[in-house]
Amino acid sequence: MIQTLPAPPQRRPRRWRTGPYWLALQIVLSGSLLLLFLLPIVALFTYAPVSRIVAAAQNVQVREAIWLTLYASGIAVLATALLAIPLGYLLARRRFFGRSVVESLVSLPVVVPHLMVGLGLFFLVIPGSPVYNFTNSIGFPVYDTIWGVVLVMAIVSAPYTVLASQLSFEAVDGRVLEAARSLGAGGGTTFLTVTLPIALRGIVAGLLLTWARAVSEIGGILVLAYAIYPGGPYSGPVTNTISVYIYNLFQQGDLADAAAVSSLFLLIAFALFLAVRIGERTGWLPWRRGDLLP
Amino acid sequence: MSEWQIEAVESDLDTFHLGPVDLSLRSGGAVAVLGSSGAGKTTFLRTLAGFLPLRRGRVIRDGEDISDFLPEERALGYVPQGLGLFPQRTVFGNVRYPMELRGRLDADARTHALLERFHLTALEHRHPTRLSGGEQQRVAIARALAAEPELIVWDEPWQALDVAARYELGLVLKELRETDRVPIVVVTHDPALAFSLADSFVVFDHGRVRFTGDANELLDRPSDPFVARFVGYENVYDLPSLEAGRDHPFTAWLLERAGPEGVALGNPEAVPTIGVPSTWEGSVRSVRPGPEGVRVEAAVDDLMVALRLPRPWPAKLPLLGDRLRFNVEATALHRLGSGPRTLRQ
Repeated sequence: MIQTLPAPPQRRPRRWRTGPYWLALQIVLSGSLLLLFLLPIVALFTYAPVSRIVAAAQNVQVREAIWLTLYASGIAVLATALLAIPLGYLLARRRFFGRSVVESLVSLPVVVPHLMVGLGLFFLVIPGSPVYNFTNSIGFPVYDTIWGVVLVMAIVSAPYTVLASQLSFEAVDGRVLEAARSLGAGGGTTFLTVTLPIALRGIVAGLLLTWARAVSEIGGILVLAYAIYPGGPYSGPVTNTISVYIYNLFQQGDLADAAAVSSLFLLIAFALFLAVRIGERTGWLPWRRGDLLP
Repeated sequence: MSEWQIEAVESDLDTFHLGPVDLSLRSGGAVAVLGSSGAGKTTFLRTLAGFLPLRRGRVIRDGEDISDFLPEERALGYVPQGLGLFPQRTVFGNVRYPMELRGRLDADARTHALLERFHLTALEHRHPTRLSGGEQQRVAIARALAAEPELIVWDEPWQALDVAARYELGLVLKELRETDRVPIVVVTHDPALAFSLADSFVVFDHGRVRFTGDANELLDRPSDPFVARFVGYENVYDLPSLEAGRDHPFTAWLLERAGPEGVALGNPEAVPTIGVPSTWEGSVRSVRPGPEGVRVEAAVDDLMVALRLPRPWPAKLPLLGDRLRFNVEATALHRLGSGPRTLRQ
């Protein structure tokens, strides 16, 4: 005779897969850091009433400064992509004498105060110096122009792309590359069709950091391009980068306007980064999909 | 299809020296490169594929010296360990890749045909990381064939495959030999799998070739104790250990029949104590039943001899310390170091 056993009581799975203390520790520590990020922002916004932020957004000078900052940082990122990715590739794939020296040199702009980078450039392009004459003669005047801004931005922020692309290239499995070669792809074709697409995600992450670092630069710009006169790709009125612009407001004691312009730029930067992150997550920005390049 | 000659090839990787290696491959032939880890198998394949420079020797394809050809010029389908599939491309994109490089107009059609042939059509939109081990192997072989190689060189094809996938891969490789007539070189450290596919064998040890020949020669006349153990002989005695025990009758008897490198002995069958005349006797040290019968390890004088008790075995298995008797047939004895086609440096 077959007996039907009663069904065992339903188990209620534990909601948390980790112990409560460990979880609490994680929440407290990361929460503290997030709070540190958040509190200054809250402080900024309490000093800047909405009406002031709107007024700042309508102010022509503020718009010029924001536009110049985004414009210059865009050029800096493009220049970085062109120059830093090959260096990252070189460091990842080749063993050569003095490699550690080169690696240290790359990290240097991140380590030193950026004012020093600006000072170094200042002495390099000081009026009357050979570099000053040369850059002026080929139409790239650096001192107090957008080129100066781009130069400072590129130098202080390129290391992020060099390091990110070096790590990404190092992570590409050499056997995949050998398979591609054996299937008939030459060295350059292998780089474009296999190495770069695989490494692209990491490189783009580095470029985003580079861009963020470029936008936020002030130290070097104070020295080399305090005021930006029209010239090169910039034809607007005399202006500053947004960082210098806000610094000026602060120096003049115009605290409410400093807070308002800061809040405005904060909103813009946050919106841009949020858009990029959402774009990556949804696959609308293609570099995470993996099939961007052939 | 092409003929390949590998003549006295030597190369270096850091401090590791490979070679000299001699090998000839004809259309439809399959060579298994055997050896334990670090023996130089992968180094040899990478040299052949053009990733490591030749120090000496030549690689000849259909009479043409291709020793200085770049990897992409060798028409050689190299499948590295781990297969080297492109993670950013789908199955379709992987197989299509070699034809894109050649700018073939019928790339799509040929890709579909290859996917069909290797039962990959249903998976064509997947990325390699979403495939099983066996499916990945089929993508790798389809992609290699898409480049129309003159030789397929495959590092550890059976690695990390379950039994069913191994069997299936064996069929694929067999078909490749028979229909495409592409010569194949496979590297493996598993002799059993090598025997299932290849018709000739190269055994590497510490970068040197210890043996070249076919399966019969490999099993009949293993060149030395290393090769003998490697192909599966359990009773392998080198000359020094035999000479050390020459006062014992069994050891002395083996020594008389040994070659310059010693002797290998196929596992003798243990005989019933009564009724069958027997020559030798040992004391049981371990007993392990298996599908082929019971494997018994017995101490004879100072030598350990692996014996077998064919199925069905007696109801009462031998116990440790029991005396077990056996005969050694002449055909089970293999002199080491006297094979005619062995290559010794």
